[in-house]
Amino acid sequence: MALENLAFLIPVLPALAFVITFFFGKNMKSGGAIVPILAIAASFVISLMITLGLLANPEEVVTQSVSWFAMLNLGVLIDPLAAVMLCMVTFVSLLIHIYAVGYMSHDPAKSRYFAETALFTAAMLSLILSDNILQLFVSWELVGLCSYLLIGFWFTKPSAAAAAKKAFLTTRIGDVMFLTGIIVLTSDLLKIAGGIPEGVYLLRFNEIFSYIPELSAMQANIFGTEVSHLTIITLLFFGGAVGKSGQFPLHVWLPDAMEGPTTVSALIHAATMVTAGVYLVARTFPMFLAAPDSLMVVAYVGGFTALFAATMGIVMNDIKRVLAFSTISQLGYMMLGLGLGATIGMEAVGVSLFHLVNHAFFKALLFLCAGSVIHAVGTHDMRELGGVAKVMPITAVTMTAAALALSGMGIPGTSIGTSGFFSKDAIIENAYLLGEHSGNWLPYVFSILAALLTSVYIFRLIFMTFTGKPRSNYGGHESPSSMTIPLAILAGFALVFGGLTQTGFMSFLEETFSNNFVNVDIGSLAALGGYELVHATGHEPLFILWLPLIVALAGLGISFVLYYMRAVDLGGIASEKNPIYKLLYRRYYQHELFTEFFSIGIVYGVIAFLAQVVDVIIDSIVESISIVTVAAGEALKRVQTGVVQTYATVMIAGVSLLIILVKLIMEVL
Amino acid sequence: MLPVASLLILVPLIFAAVTFLTKTKDQAATLAFAGSLATLGLTLYAYLNFDSSTAVMQFFESMEWIPFLGIKYSVGIDGISMPLIILNAIVTPLLVLYSYSEDREAPNRFYALILAMQAAVIGVFVSLDFFMFYIFWELTLIPLFFMVNIWGGEKRKHASYKFFIYTHVASLVMLLGIFGISFACLQQTGVLSFDIRELITQFQFIESGGLKDAIFLALLFGFLAKIPSFPFHSWLPDAYSEAPTAGSVLFVLLKIGGYGLFRIMLPMLPNTGSPDLIIMVMGLLGGVSVLYGALLALRQKDLKRMIAYSSVSHMGYVTLGAAGLVTMSVSGAMFQQFSHGLIMSIMFMSAGVIHRNTGTRIINELGGLASKMPKLTVIMMVGFMASLGLPGLTGFIAEFLVLTFTFGELPGFVVIALLAIVITAGYHLWAMQRAMFGVYNEKLGPVADLDFPQTLAMALIALLVLYFGLNPSPVLDMMITNSNAIVGLAAAAGV
Repeated sequence: MALENLAFLIPVLPALAFVITFFFGKNMKSGGAIVPILAIAASFVISLMITLGLLANPEEVVTQSVSWFAMLNLGVLIDPLAAVMLCMVTFVSLLIHIYAVGYMSHDPAKSRYFAETALFTAAMLSLILSDNILQLFVSWELVGLCSYLLIGFWFTKPSAAAAAKKAFLTTRIGDVMFLTGIIVLTSDLLKIAGGIPEGVYLLRFNEIFSYIPELSAMQANIFGTEVSHLTIITLLFFGGAVGKSGQFPLHVWLPDAMEGPTTVSALIHAATMVTAGVYLVARTFPMFLAAPDSLMVVAYVGGFTALFAATMGIVMNDIKRVLAFSTISQLGYMMLGLGLGATIGMEAVGVSLFHLVNHAFFKALLFLCAGSVIHAVGTHDMRELGGVAKVMPITAVTMTAAALALSGMGIPGTSIGTSGFFSKDAIIENAYLLGEHSGNWLPYVFSILAALLTSVYIFRLIFMTFTGKPRSNYGGHESPSSMTIPLAILAGFALVFGGLTQTGFMSFLEETFSNNFVNVDIGSLAALGGYELVHATGHEPLFILWLPLIVALAGLGISFVLYYMRAVDLGGIASEKNPIYKLLYRRYYQHELFTEFFSIGIVYGVIAFLAQVVDVIIDSIVESISIVTVAAGEALKRVQTGVVQTYATVMIAGVSLLIILVKLIMEVL
Repeated sequence: MLPVASLLILVPLIFAAVTFLTKTKDQAATLAFAGSLATLGLTLYAYLNFDSSTAVMQFFESMEWIPFLGIKYSVGIDGISMPLIILNAIVTPLLVLYSYSEDREAPNRFYALILAMQAAVIGVFVSLDFFMFYIFWELTLIPLFFMVNIWGGEKRKHASYKFFIYTHVASLVMLLGIFGISFACLQQTGVLSFDIRELITQFQFIESGGLKDAIFLALLFGFLAKIPSFPFHSWLPDAYSEAPTAGSVLFVLLKIGGYGLFRIMLPMLPNTGSPDLIIMVMGLLGGVSVLYGALLALRQKDLKRMIAYSSVSHMGYVTLGAAGLVTMSVSGAMFQQFSHGLIMSIMFMSAGVIHRNTGTRIINELGGLASKMPKLTVIMMVGFMASLGLPGLTGFIAEFLVLTFTFGELPGFVVIALLAIVITAGYHLWAMQRAMFGVYNEKLGPVADLDFPQTLAMALIALLVLYFGLNPSPVLDMMITNSNAIVGLAAAAGV
């Protein structure tokens, strides 16, 4: 099919849109928004057509490769995993771009905005369809750059400039780990292959995966324990994912990333940035499968992050911050889903990615609804809102739909439920399986508690914003249709996408690593790691199947009592005097701990200070030698008149003389 | 075919002399621009006639010069020197263009020195005789000395003398090394020669291992001090930051220290008495330079000093990659020289414009410049991002190759360098945030953005950083060819 040959255009078109909008957008209507919208729409169509082709015949993966430099290449690999991500990113990004035409209409710098979001999308698309780890890293870094530019979009605001820097630096810590992983991997591959092999692109995924047994056999001794190189490499990759996908402890940048326009937050949280880390683990999943220790780390970090972020979500008063912590928490679920590969094997990719896609719909929707509210009433503090449903009915309805999806409302054992229900419950149930099978119960406990808190914080947000009486004098009106139509479309997806695609999605993704491009024997990979795979039998206790729904309803109930009926006076609990509230509200003092104590106190203060002391010492040695020299020079002041033209003549003459002298001496000898 | 190697020295030298005789700034600048464009044209001719697939010397010319002393006039270009000549030939005209906006005393001397510097630096790159090599090597000091001494900042006298004496002493040590190898070979063969390639081949036949090491270390010291590598870097922050912008850029184009490593040190290395120890030392100095420069850059309040230390950090990759001694790490180190020249030019030009238009370089006294200087902000962002190693720009290619391929040989030192990556991002972003973003500091008064020549010069360099970052092959391929030859020597000697 000729369409496959156009696959490379998927990232190239938005990249071109960036160039056009950046240079010519100012003179165009709406800052040239139409250019990226058309480009991304075209990318969406290509992605969708390729995906439909793949659905019909999962073996027909799209591959293209051209040489880049040395033995490295640029290439395209669209298999089911990449195809699903491409469709999701182009679709969500397209809706956000359309929405932004209205949202950014008053901003004088909107052409820069559309240029940067186009590049952001292009970088993410290139990341997804990369057929090699280096191109993935390159795109990964470009995604980071774009987030830096967009979070700091209103750069004259000091808080925005600071948040942009924090995001870039925090994710950079992860990036260095990712890069180190690539370095270790490349160096190992060169050792195994005995030098740079002719005619192969070394860092292509199919090449890398074919070396998994050798990588797994290489052992390193770290603090007295034998660790396989594969475990080290995968953990370093996961380190990168922790930074990009906001997992504990590198999640600190994500809540601050709210400083950009709300549409940017929607892009970052739903489509273009934070999912990159999850995708990285999914993309290199065969490596993780053969390194079960790493998978276990992924499961624990993911589960803990899901709960940890949710605890902070329940006390935030800024509507966007609640959503930010919600994103961190949901990303924790996705990571947990991947970590479950330690028991369910390759199915974990489908489980996790299903939640990723569903989350993209309802989280984009939540942000765009929040943006709609902020755009209309001009505040993001929920304490000043209340009763917004009366002025903004469409926003209220769509946001409630998103909340139902996020909290995972649905009836177990049937196909009735919101998107989040199908994907989140699958993760929780499989986490139960992990506990049952391996005795690691904590991830399951984390995920259940997080489900309860998720429901609490999201309905708290709904009740505080949309119900009751206005708590301040805001004006406001419903947003224009260019904004509400994307909301309605996303609401539709948030409600029904999960139910419609439930079975097809997972089986489609299972084809990913067994196609003709990366043919991996999953059973033998698990055997390399020394563990067995099990499958959900469907005979889990009924209570386990119903528990996620029960906690979600409990959460809804709690929020209803506290924030709709206002049956309990929260003044005493939600105050700085309550140590638990304060701990949560201050986000566990992470800012103090990470930024002030660790970054500034240790790295900046101590090491840089020591370096400067050393530098002064080195310099003063040089200076004191030169003082002696200059003092000697004073004695010869007549010669050293400081006119350096003579230096040159004297120097060349001196050198020549010296050579002649030596030559003469040699002749005599 | 044109005798390009000779012309590349001669043309800028002649234009320098003529420029010196002009009376007005316009005449001087025009002539200097014409001269540097002529050099660029010659370079383009050389590039188009250059064969990247062979490591042999091309455009080779050789004749007796002082037969009595075995000194020859011998020049040529290969994959080690070609990229550096390209770098120099591209940036020099843009530097002339950039400098046009600035009014200075004695413009004839100013522009003549830029061209003289170009002639001297290219002279080092094409010389194949140690005698010529050393003369050009020392000649590079003179324009730089005057640049700092005449047009520099407040501490220009101190900085210029410090730079001159420091690097001159290092050069003299290097000269001793040159004499050492030449006379040791004289004893072996009975023929006095200064032919660089000949002497490198003869080096292995020197009997005394101690003498070999002494010669090697003397030369190495000369090159490391010029790069400069930790701990021989202390002339750099003063000289780079006191120099006028044009001087700083000329310093950046002075890639002769790293060039010496590839042309002379690496081919000799396998035949020294203790190559493994020397490799360890070089690797250590490289890795430490990367981290150390970054840490110090983090502490600087002056934008230009910050960039100067960042230069120490980046040049550490050159030493590190050279010590890796595999084809791709050495190619990465060579590419870093090329890339660093482009990136640092943008950074110093940006700092120069900020200093000139606001009157200060102290980062905390700036603030919010982005709203007044949008053009500068975009170009500076490209430079800063390239400098912190963002993929898609040249710095990443170099650093990736050096780190990845040195890791298999010297993992510990690569890890030291890796530690610097976050710090490197830190000081760049910190400087951008404080100087360019946030609320505009009204104390600075009205501030102008880049004018047309500045914009053109800087934007072109930024485009090259992007172009070679996306497509490094036009210069990387020839580097790989020659690195392969260098590494082949080492492999043949069992190192």
